[in-house]
Amino acid sequence: MVEVNIQSVWKYYGKTAAVKDLNLKCPENSFLAILGPSGCGKSSTLRMLAGLEHISAGEIFFGAVRVNQLPPKERDIAMVFENYALYPHKTVFENMANPLRLRNVNREEIDKRVRRAAELLQIDMLLDRKPMQLSGGQKQRTAIGRAIVREPKVFLFDEPIAHLDAKLRAHMRGELKHLQRRLETTTIYVTHDQLEAMSMADSIAVMHEGVLQQFGTPSDIYNHPANEWVAGFVGEPPMNFLNCRIEQGTSGVAVVHPSFRLILNDVQRRLLEEKGAEVEVRLGARPDTIAYRPGANSGLDVPAKVYVTEPLGGDMIVEVQLGADRLTVKTKIGPSANLDDPCTIGFDASRVHLFAASNGIAYF
Amino acid sequence: MASREIAQYPTATRRVLGVATILFVAFYLIWTLLPLLIMFLSSFKDLLDAFQLPATGDWGGAALLFTFEPTTKHYQNLFLDLNFGTYLGNSLIASLGSALVSVVLGSTAAYALSRLDFRGKNDLFFWIISTRMAPVVAVLVPLYAIFRSLDLIGTLPGLILAYTTFNLPFAIWILKGFFDNVPYAIEEAAMCDGSTRLQALRMIMPLVAPGIGAFIVLCVLFGWNDYLFSSIIGSGGAKTLPAATIALVQPQNIQWGSIMAAGAVTTVPMLFLGVLIRRYLVAGLTMGAVRE
Repeated sequence: MVEVNIQSVWKYYGKTAAVKDLNLKCPENSFLAILGPSGCGKSSTLRMLAGLEHISAGEIFFGAVRVNQLPPKERDIAMVFENYALYPHKTVFENMANPLRLRNVNREEIDKRVRRAAELLQIDMLLDRKPMQLSGGQKQRTAIGRAIVREPKVFLFDEPIAHLDAKLRAHMRGELKHLQRRLETTTIYVTHDQLEAMSMADSIAVMHEGVLQQFGTPSDIYNHPANEWVAGFVGEPPMNFLNCRIEQGTSGVAVVHPSFRLILNDVQRRLLEEKGAEVEVRLGARPDTIAYRPGANSGLDVPAKVYVTEPLGGDMIVEVQLGADRLTVKTKIGPSANLDDPCTIGFDASRVHLFAASNGIAYF
Repeated sequence: MASREIAQYPTATRRVLGVATILFVAFYLIWTLLPLLIMFLSSFKDLLDAFQLPATGDWGGAALLFTFEPTTKHYQNLFLDLNFGTYLGNSLIASLGSALVSVVLGSTAAYALSRLDFRGKNDLFFWIISTRMAPVVAVLVPLYAIFRSLDLIGTLPGLILAYTTFNLPFAIWILKGFFDNVPYAIEEAAMCDGSTRLQALRMIMPLVAPGIGAFIVLCVLFGWNDYLFSSIIGSGGAKTLPAATIALVQPQNIQWGSIMAAGAVTTVPMLFLGVLIRRYLVAGLTMGAVRE
């Protein structure tokens, strides 16, 4: 219910900088995911937002209020922890009622709100249990329940579903998103799982080694990654990268690999020129943009060899050996191929990405 | 997990060990409980009955232990003539007082040591426990000198302070372990719920209650069973039960009956304390709170 504004925030642990000059803005009632591998500074950022850790430098605003010096109690936040952090000696009901009791809400109101939240999370039959008697998913829902019984200004989620099994995690992704839309509360969600970030968030901040790599909508992040690191981190299976050169040919500007050459279209050529492209580049192609056909001379441009095929039911992952490089291709299910069987692959020139070989910055 | 089954299969060795264990436990029980039984019984016996002993090898004569005319005259002697009521009171005040002071100071210090990082923390921690490494006798003389100049000799506050000197390092050492076992995330969750720092600490206190309970017993036992401090620092106005009991051993007359009664008076409150505190010693309270 407020806009969260992070301005030039740094976090130091001793002399190590965990968060470096972070600038982020989460609009009112929207869902921001902070995505990155472990140790990228995402949890530190969330803990600074919660007030559990000091802000080394910079400022954080909730709406117009600067919260740097406010203890968690005065920030009006609700946080869900990665390890749930339930009160082990209290029942589910008491766990959820605690934030209300601390605010001297009257007894009937507490009862009403806890039961409503419990129904929403489908744990209303567990209210008398202690955390020890709950499964992982039930504990996690209790922890969420504790956050949603009141109406805080900001929800903070620290990898809340990371420890659930795959099926329950997929289910909870939908539930959490639904809940956020329904409660209409500004939400900041930390995760290392790009699938969670992509599927739930309105905007994603990708962090790596304490530095914000890219901040944008899920589609931005996926379709226009800012650099090679973001491109490789987001997307499953990850993007393929090949070392290539830019050559000015008779037919236009081409990306040249020992096994193939791709002619760039006008838009791509203009972007290259604008950004002053180097000769050495890295070509990025997502596995589902590469076409694959088994057999020699099977019709696509680039001849290659099969490394291994991994059928996944409806789809199939094919790893392809292309000279010294290995590529991952995602295709519709087809017959399995043997090691070193010949095949051909084709790149969709309009859907490839190009990065500077020196610093990984994206041209397009 | 505490409840995991450990599969064991019968072998000859295991059977022999099983029998040996039962024999050992039986012997151990007799060894520890028989003196107590004799003490309790003798405290209700006239002196003549108390010294009715069976001849060596006469197992049937053990029945003699139980054939006597019960009398409470030793207890009357203790409380009416020898002022044991006061000594009992002194013992209670000194041991409980020291336990209380130690638990308040000890748990706050242990909490700080468990949660905060500061320079020299490990050295400080070692120094605290190292104060327990010197034998009590070694510090008794300097302590006496200090207490005398502060007019604490022969007073209950002096005795409480003396016991606390020895209980506190122990308290900090033990309770720190208990606080370490409570995840900090629980306090963080409480603070996010809207607690102050202090309210968050209060939230986890039930989780360290087993530790505090166990530690109170140990502290009380230390003060209750102490003879050295009581006879030297407490001498005069703050004599406790053990010191008073020793006084019953006089060169010309050892008052066996009263000594047995004093022993019973000293033992029974600790027995009750043990029973009372047992429910706090249930372990595993933090299980399932957070994902490890």
